[in-house]
Formats: sequence, structure tokens, C-alpha cells
Amino acid sequence: MFKEFAKGLSITLKHLLPGHSTTVDYPKQKLTMSPRFRGLHRLVPTQTREKCVACYLCPTVCPAKCITVESAENEKGEKYPKVYKIDLLRCIFCGYCVEACPVEAIEMSDKYELANYKREDFIFDKERLLK
Amino acid sequence: MVNLTIDGKEVKVSKTATIYEAAKEAGIYIPVLCYAKKLLPYGACRVCLVEVEQMKGRLIPSCTTPVTAGMVVTTMSDEIRKVRKTVLEFLLVNHVVDCPVCDKAGECDLQDLSYEYEVVTNRFAGEKFDLPKDEINPLIERNMNRCVLCGKCVRVCDEVVGYGSYSFINRGFETKIATAFDRGLNCEFCGQCVSLCPVGAILPRPFKFKARPWQLKEVNSVCGYCGNGCTVTFGTKDNEVQTIRFNDKTGVNDGNLCIRGRFGATYVNSDQRLTSPLIRKDGELVEASWEEALEKVTEGLRSAGSSAGIISGARLTNEELFLLKNLAKAVGTGNLDHSGGECYKGVTEGLHETLGLQASTATFPQVEKANAILAIRNDFYETHPVFGMVVNQAVKRNNAHLTVIGDKQGKLTRMPHARNLQHKPGLEVNILNAMCRFLLDEKLAKTDGLQGVEELQEALADYAVDAVTAAAGVSADAIKQSAKELVSAENAAILLAYGLPYTAYSRELGLAAANLALLTGIAGRSGSGLYLCGEKSNSQGAIDQQILPAAGALGVSGMLKSASEGKLKALYVTGEDMLVSYPDKGLVEKALDKTPFVVVQDLFLSETASKADVVLPAASFAEKSGTFTNAERRIQRLHPGIKSPGQAKTDFAIFQALLTGFGAAVPATEAAAFMALAATTPGYEMVGLEMIGDQGYVWGGETLVPEIRNLVAVTGGKALEAKYQLVVGSALYHSGTTSVHAKGPMSVVSEPYIEFGREDAAELKIVDGQQVKLKAAGGEISAKAKVDRRLPKGVLFAPYHFGSLKLNRIYNGQASIAVEISK
Repeated sequence: MFKEFAKGLSITLKHLLPGHSTTVDYPKQKLTMSPRFRGLHRLVPTQTREKCVACYLCPTVCPAKCITVESAENEKGEKYPKVYKIDLLRCIFCGYCVEACPVEAIEMSDKYELANYKREDFIFDKERLLK
Repeated sequence: MVNLTIDGKEVKVSKTATIYEAAKEAGIYIPVLCYAKKLLPYGACRVCLVEVEQMKGRLIPSCTTPVTAGMVVTTMSDEIRKVRKTVLEFLLVNHVVDCPVCDKAGECDLQDLSYEYEVVTNRFAGEKFDLPKDEINPLIERNMNRCVLCGKCVRVCDEVVGYGSYSFINRGFETKIATAFDRGLNCEFCGQCVSLCPVGAILPRPFKFKARPWQLKEVNSVCGYCGNGCTVTFGTKDNEVQTIRFNDKTGVNDGNLCIRGRFGATYVNSDQRLTSPLIRKDGELVEASWEEALEKVTEGLRSAGSSAGIISGARLTNEELFLLKNLAKAVGTGNLDHSGGECYKGVTEGLHETLGLQASTATFPQVEKANAILAIRNDFYETHPVFGMVVNQAVKRNNAHLTVIGDKQGKLTRMPHARNLQHKPGLEVNILNAMCRFLLDEKLAKTDGLQGVEELQEALADYAVDAVTAAAGVSADAIKQSAKELVSAENAAILLAYGLPYTAYSRELGLAAANLALLTGIAGRSGSGLYLCGEKSNSQGAIDQQILPAAGALGVSGMLKSASEGKLKALYVTGEDMLVSYPDKGLVEKALDKTPFVVVQDLFLSETASKADVVLPAASFAEKSGTFTNAERRIQRLHPGIKSPGQAKTDFAIFQALLTGFGAAVPATEAAAFMALAATTPGYEMVGLEMIGDQGYVWGGETLVPEIRNLVAVTGGKALEAKYQLVVGSALYHSGTTSVHAKGPMSVVSEPYIEFGREDAAELKIVDGQQVKLKAAGGEISAKAKVDRRLPKGVLFAPYHFGSLKLNRIYNGQASIAVEISK
């Protein structure tokens, strides 16, 4: 009985020692997010253009209706998103858009520092999403 | 009727039905790819295979197998599922899977079936097609990598449209759908193939990458172009009509449309549309408020009183025309007319004198079952293309004898066994007279109950077949044979088209056609009919409601003449660009200049509108509700698909405001206006809005019985003695002057042209695209030449839709114009 008690207390004491704290000193120190973390969206580029073919599946599946896509034809005759916008104020980060994408053109990055001062800054257009 | 069992359900169907049709009637679903209701059974795709107990051992294609009594059909079993899945796997071996970029995704039959049958892997491997895409033509994109070889496009183009652009070429794995010699598509661009393609192989180019099908809102309405009255289904998004979608469930057109209906509606989205009223101040048209504009119009019309003239287009709804008529009354003028009343004289005067009617006597679908058809003016196909498709089906499915009386060849004349009475311009009446004379001479005519038989016989003394043949340049046998066919046919139809470019002899033609219809017994007989078809979407409505001059008042030509002499104080023009479309431009110009107060109500700042004192922005057909009456008397309802741009208002709202200004009683809604007009319009008395269903409502019934049967003798025309003569008319790709604002028609025919027959072109050494000048009595016109093979020697043709041609400088309503050609 005492042995078990001491064993448990030793774990507590071990954590009290310097270098064993679970608190992170944010923002000087940042954690690595798990691969499944759903942070800011990212449009995946290929060598010449975005991978997105403007199939409209993401705005269709989006439960928050925060994605706007407008497709057009580029000079090569390919379908591309002339407009691709996500309104992060509406987004619920469910990741359905990523799941629905047939060409894996959108993914969710590990970026989570998304605070801003103006509402307009929460609209992420194609250029911002491609970064 | 035949009894059979499908999936344990007792079904009773007609003995001509196929298993697929029987199942559909019983509400049992069988998947199909190559089947279409309006096409002949084909059985290419093998997706509709079913089991029939009496034919054990193999699966039966349900879409090509007729039902027999006592048949026991199973539409789904493990084996059927397996076979259908295999069929889909085979199709997907070569079919490129580019659903994310394909515009058809979301309404693709192959996609839906692959989902239904869970075709997620493929047991077969093969090469994906990598055929070049046809992106040359402006309206129809063909990507044969997506083709499933169902042949619907080939069949619809042949069976329904009668053009035959497509065919299967090569064999085996190499089979593909292509045009002759695998060249680019160069057809009439009706887009019937687009509407029937079950996959994304044939797509409408103007809609390319615009939206996904599920984003579009569907609104059924009626096409705003010609008198055929086809139902169109708008696919709207972002307050724009993005596309016209296939719909064979409503209307009489069975989903069939022509280039104008399918690709010509985009003018409603044009950024050139008028968005606010304009008032002339210091010689300039400047934007103004509605209050100011309406006040000015009320004031102008009130001070003009009985010396005001009102000219309407024929694309206003019945309700709007009703208010317009009331407005004329409120203003106190009888000078009211529509679309140059002149050109519709055949219907308004001709039929009235002979039959006591002012409309076609039968409906369009009846023509499909006709045994003999007489089409007068082969342009008929160009003015009412979808009715042309009905004629095509009568000829191809029913072996109808088709005779075409026209001054040029056209698609109708190229139909199998079509008899072509190609005559010298302006002699249609002579040929019709000769037919009447032949029927009377040979005692073939059905003269019972007809008045004026002897007088007609006497009056037609000069129109013996032989005399007419020589003058008109057609064969005597052809005239005789056609007359015989018409009189002996169980069901027969006489078709005649009207419009602004056909003002010459319009009354005479109406009379002559009615005489022939009476002598052959066609008029008023069930299954047969005389069809006099107005050019525009509500020409018939305008005639029904008598948008015509009151007794002793002036019609269009009278008004213009009077106005040019400075006798009219105000002119109110609505929905018509008279300076471009009316004959005798000089007269119209003078009339507009001399009239102190001119109001134009239109969608665009047309040539006429830019001469007005007040311009009122109106709404297009896609923005309003109300009813149109088509050329077969079918009343159909319009539904607004989009909102009008800026401050533009419907003609209904504008007339409402004006009537209020005059202190007159105004119906509050379109529905109230319809009730009021139905009560006062002959034939409409018993019609209620609720009676107008998906198929519309034909006033007067399927067959309209003549009130009188009076033969009226009519004098024919005289051939013009000139080496070269120009005939004016409609081009298939355009309709009036509205379509020149639509991208679709403009991408095919974007500028005026003067058409030459091959012989003339060779003789004059004129090549396609060369600039030519025509000199005539009224002046000179110049345009690019178009060389084709449909015109006889010495006859040239020019369409009237383009303002830049200034065609009406030399066209004053005559049948043909003597011209001199220079390069």
C-alpha cells in the first residue's frame, strides 16, 4: 500500500522538477500539431497553376456555405477557379471540403494563428490560400 | 391493349408499346442510356436488359422489345445487376473519368448509373480515348472521349431536326460519332444533340464552366422569339439566365428547340440593356426618374389625344396588350396597330373574309399525322423552326407528301420526296390559284356548303395550270399532283408563315390559301388544318385581342404616312425597332422626325429609341409573368426567371402607371388582367388562368370550325422583269431585331449578308465573303456576299435583322426588288 503511494507520489514529484512542465511558453514556444489537425486551408499548387479544377464539390458539401468558387477557362482551355474564396468567419473547420475534393487540391494546414483586426481580413482568396 | 406482368404487377398497355414504355407507365424504373421518348427505339447501350419468362436463356433489351400478351417480365435480379454492371464497366474502359471538369457532372446518366451500380473498380483494362476536341464552332462543344455511342445525337439530328449532321464512322473499337469526313460541325446549331447527349460528349459552349447543374434554379417559361411558342426551361443563377435546359415534360415542343430558343435567350443578360428612363433634354437623351418620364409621357399623350398613334411589337404578353388597348382608349385614339398590321393581313383580313376566323384552324401536333402537307414560303422552316421539325417527322415517320411553294430552296425542300415548286418571286398566289382552278376543273373540289364557287371559277379563268406554269417557272404536273394529294389525303395541312419581311401579297396569300383549304375540305376538318403562323411570340395574341386600328382610324402604314406629313402629334412605339425592321426606312425616319412627341419603350437603346423624346426601359420575356398565345392558338404562361436590370419595369407595370395617370381603371395583377381580357376576347370567354396547364390551353379547341365558307377570288402577282432581283426574309439564326443582341445567334451570323446562288456567283465572279453592292430604286446597300446553292438564277436574298445593312432603304414591302450588282 505504501509502496504504491510512494510510486504515485514520485511521478508527481518528478513533474515538479525543472524541465518536466507541460505548460508551453506560447508564443515563444509552439507545439507541433498532430497531422490530423484542421487548421487554415491551403490550395495545393502544381508547377504552373493551382491543382483545383473548380468542380464545385467543396462549396456544395460545405455545411457553413463559406466557400465561393467561380470557374472559367484558361488560355489552354482548362477549367480553373477564377475565384476561390473562403470566409473563415463562417468556416467551422470540419474538413469536408478536403474530403470531397476529387483532385486533392485543398488541404488543411497546421496554421492556427488566425486572429485579425478587420472582418475583411478573414476572407481568404485564392492568392492567400495558395501561399 | 395488352396485359402483361412486370415485377409481379399487372400492367395493361397499348400493343405498340415496348417493355420499357410499359414499365415506365406502371411506374417501374429501368435504367437507359440510348433511349429517348421522341426517338425510334435503337437498343445500343444494353443497360435496359430485363428477363422475360417466355424468352428464358438470354436477357432482353426492354427498349426495343414490344410487349406481347401474358409476358412476365422481371426488371431486376442478381444476374441483371451483374450484366448491367459489366456493361457499365465496359463503357468505363475507354470513357475518360474527368467528371470534376465535365459540365455534365451532376446530371450525367453514366455517372448516375455508375453510382447506382457501384462501379468503383474495373475488371477490364484498356486505353482511354484521346481524341481531339471540337472547339472550332461557337456553340456546341464535342468531346468524343466522353461518348458512349448511344447514337442519340445522330438520331435526333436525322429523325427530328432533319439535318443529319452526325454519323457513326469507323468500326469496332474505333467507332466514333463524327460529321461528314470528320470535319468541324457546321450545322444549324439547334443544339438538339446537346439536349439529348446523356454524357458530357456534346455540351453547350456558351454555358461552358459557368455553373454546376445543382446550382441552377429551373424556371419554365415560353420562348420569346417566334410564334411557335416552345416551352423553355431557364437555368438561372446570379440573376442571369445561364442556360436553357432540356425539358420534354411541358409544352408542345417535346423539348425540341431551335438555335434561337436554346442559344438566343442570353440577350436578357446583356450589359447594353436600358436600366433607367431617358428624357431628351437639350437634344440629348439623359437619365431621368420614372416619375418625371411617366409624367412627360402622360402629358404628351393627353395633349395629342386622338392624333396620337400607338404601334406595338408582337412580343408583349396578352395582359400587356390588353392594358395597351385600354391605354389607347384612355388617350382617346383609335390609331393602334401591331407589328405592321400590314404583314398579318392574311390572318386578320384574308381568313376573316373567307372563313370568318382570325387564326389557324388546327394545332401543331396534328401535322405529325398528316398525309399531305403544303408549305407556302419555304422560309417557313426559318421563321418557325420547331414546327419545321414537326413537318420533318410527318414526312419521315408518316410518309407524308410534302409540297413546298417557295422562291428559294430550304431544308424542307431537301426532305425525302419533297416536291419543290420553286417559282419566280411573288407568284405564290398564282400557284395557289392554279391549284384551286385545277380542283374545280377536274371536279375534285369539295364544294358542298361553299359560297361563291361559280364566281371563283370564273375569276380564276386566267389561272389555268399551264398558263401559271409558264409564268411561275414550275412544272404543271407538280401543281396537279400536289392539288390531288391535298384533296385526297385523309389528314392534310396547309402552312403559311407571316412576318415583317413578308408584307407583299399577305392578304392575297391568306385568301388564296383559305380558298384552297376550303376546296380541299381541309379547313375545319378534324385532323387537318390551315396554319397561318405569325412571326413573333404573341402575334396571335395581338390579333385575338384586336390590337388593330379602330374603324376609320389609322393602321401602321397610315400612321407613318400621316406622321411623316406632320399630322400626328404623338407616337408611342413599344417593343419594336421600326427603323430597322419596317419596310421603307425613309418613311419611318420622316415620321419619327416630324412627330413632335415620340415615346419608345424597349429593352435596348435601339435605332428607333435613340430618336425618341422619352425612352422607357422595359423588361424581357424572362422577367415577366403573363401569357402568350402561339400560332396554333395555344395560350401558355410565362414565369419570371430573373429580375429586371436597374429600374427597368415590365410593360405591364409601365402601362399600369400610365393608365393610373389617365385616371382609368387598372387591373392590379396580370391574373386580374387576364380575367378581364378573357371576358372580352372572342374565343377566350371560357378560359381561366387555372385551365392553362403545362401543355397550355388551346382556345377554340383542337379544331376551329369556320364560321363562314366563302370563296373569294384573288388576283395573283406578276413576275418582276429584272435580271437580278432581291428577296427579303428571315434567317434561321435570327428573329426580328432582338436576336442581334444575343451572343449565340451572333456568334453564328454576326453581320448582314447578301446571298447569291452558285450560278450567279460564278457568272459575276463573286466569292464567299466578298463585299458587294446592290443598287436599287431607293438607294444602295453593301454587304458581304454569301454563296450558297439554294437560290435560283437571278434571285438574291438578304435577311432583314441587321440595322447596319439599311435594307429597308430599298425594301418597301414589295415581293422582290430589282437590283444592279457591283463589287
